[in-house]
Amino acid sequence: MPQNKKKTSKEKAIALTGTAGFVGSSLLRELEKDPKYKKIIAIDHQKPPFKTEKTKFYRLDLTETLADSKLLEIFEKENVDTVVHAAFPVSPPHNLTWAHELTSVGTMYVIDACAAKKVRKLIVASTTEVYGAYATNPNFLSEDHPLRGGFKSRFLRDKIEAEGQFRKFAKKHPETCVTILRPCTMLGPHVRNYKTTFLQNRVIFTVMGYDPLFQFVHEEDVTRAFQLAIEKDFPGVFNIVGNGVLPLSKVLNLAGITSIPIPAPFLYPAVQFLWYFQMIPAPASRLDFLKYLSVADGKKAKEIMEFAPRYSTKEALLSFIGAQRLREAHLMEAADATS
Amino acid sequence: MPLPKEAGKIHYLKSLPKPSSSSSKEEWVERLEKKIDNLEKEFRAAQTSASKSEILPLIQNLEKRFQEVLHSFLSARSSGSNEEFEIDEFGMDPALVKKVKPFFNFLYYNYWRVSVKGMNQIPNEGRGLIVSNHSGTLPYDGSMIAASIINEHTSRKDVRFLVEDFVYHFPFLGTFIYRTGGVRACPENAERLLETNHLVVVFPEGIKGIGKHYKNRYRLQRFGRGGFIKLALRTGSPIIPTAVIGAEEIHPLIYKSTILARAFGIPYIPVTPSFPLLGPLGLVPLPSKWTIQFGEPIDFAKEYGPEAAEDQLLVNKLSEVVREKIQQMIFENLKNRRSIWFG
Repeated sequence: MPQNKKKTSKEKAIALTGTAGFVGSSLLRELEKDPKYKKIIAIDHQKPPFKTEKTKFYRLDLTETLADSKLLEIFEKENVDTVVHAAFPVSPPHNLTWAHELTSVGTMYVIDACAAKKVRKLIVASTTEVYGAYATNPNFLSEDHPLRGGFKSRFLRDKIEAEGQFRKFAKKHPETCVTILRPCTMLGPHVRNYKTTFLQNRVIFTVMGYDPLFQFVHEEDVTRAFQLAIEKDFPGVFNIVGNGVLPLSKVLNLAGITSIPIPAPFLYPAVQFLWYFQMIPAPASRLDFLKYLSVADGKKAKEIMEFAPRYSTKEALLSFIGAQRLREAHLMEAADATS
Repeated sequence: MPLPKEAGKIHYLKSLPKPSSSSSKEEWVERLEKKIDNLEKEFRAAQTSASKSEILPLIQNLEKRFQEVLHSFLSARSSGSNEEFEIDEFGMDPALVKKVKPFFNFLYYNYWRVSVKGMNQIPNEGRGLIVSNHSGTLPYDGSMIAASIINEHTSRKDVRFLVEDFVYHFPFLGTFIYRTGGVRACPENAERLLETNHLVVVFPEGIKGIGKHYKNRYRLQRFGRGGFIKLALRTGSPIIPTAVIGAEEIHPLIYKSTILARAFGIPYIPVTPSFPLLGPLGLVPLPSKWTIQFGEPIDFAKEYGPEAAEDQLLVNKLSEVVREKIQQMIFENLKNRRSIWFG
């Protein structure tokens, strides 16, 4: 981060939104450790899940009206020049209106505040889910592939729309460096979302006759990619993925999950029904990801950002499973101790 | 008690013993157990020597190391001692390929009795685009061209064939095809394969070719929009024109139902003399005699350079040149053929 030479002007700060979420909080933890960053601003409606030293916390709900002027006030006061926007719901919520307010409208507020403050850099957390899962996908989706994830899912439609806002902003303000990072499914010892819930089951339903390839990235690699984007300027969109692919059957095999294949025409309505009764962590539209391919190409991030994932797809999965087993062992010990 | 520096890092994982072919899995597990015992000893020693505030990070570190040992154990269990039995990036499973090989060899040697001409035209190394006529309702011709190279070429095994995306809509079929080496036909996939110096089999006729009416057999349809020429120019791959004789008779198509097919999300339902009349039995292809001829490679990239891919008129012309060449090869072979069943 460039140091300010003038002593009179205030030190430049880096602002993070969504610091109670997984990406935001793990990035905040890393930035806290790094002596390069003197001042960090955390913005969320909940406090970060750990004790912070050099971070200043502002409680702000991005779904409230006038969040944009409040953001601008914070940005002006703290002289923010880099903004990392990670305040997005990850797991598909039942309350789609709230998700829309946060994803789409919250993004609008952040962008408006950034435009008014003329921040130097804007980094956004997206996901490779925006590409969607289709039989017509190429085996490795590049960053300029059309985003087709939103046809069935309103939740993903909002995400794509939010990304579109950032691309529009980047076009309009070429002086601002806008980086959009699209990590694929994150796994690791700490991450928790609907996909890890899925992998924690002992028995799951799969779509009969389909065994698509899967791709994972380790949580540490994702945080490192964000750090790289903060340290240097990389305008554009980047897929952040681990090397290699695994078929679904192998993923389930490694995780020790028994799968019950159900023909698609029966499975889709059943899952949607269970979703309405909140008995399942994702709606039927996500079944497409168990049916068709949605694997992104990490070549651009490797070449331009020099981002080299330390964990491959398989290693990320094993890291998650290993932590899972360990946690179960601890729980069993605790149960033995109390009984 | 200081812990080794590498504890808690991924490199530590790599330094762990991996099961090799010489040591059995039991031995390896024993060694791992020893390692965990050592960890425990270290921990006990630390417990007595260090004060309470120092012990917490030690426990965390040990926990992390234990997790890594477990991780590498799981990883070894899953991969076994054979690293080659891993799925490649396009989803081909060498173990499954080995399992189904006898079936494809039966089709190749006994059922269709494939004879190959011009195998010496296939370059011994480097990328190459094998362009062929397409037919047969299911991508049998792609797998037979791939089988001919794997069976009869002296050195090459790295051949992949592209498959229309409609098969990927079907349960089982799509999965089976990509596991046995088929790749969905799209420019991105073909480019990736060529850039890694594979031989790629493409059928520019596409869906129009595979669903050809019986009366149009061996008459090449339009070659798409010349995508394969652009691909060859961009990646600098020589084009190997190829004629497949015999495949156009395995499922003589006499009618295509498109209305019913729409309900299933497929392009058409084929009607042949035996399907759907004989039910699933009608899906068995007829035992015609096949000939595969590889023609002389054409290197357009050397002549025109990669920029020529932008010149649509030239691309169309070159596409027509290749089409003419394949059509000619087909006619020559048909002239010399006396019987559909015996060649």
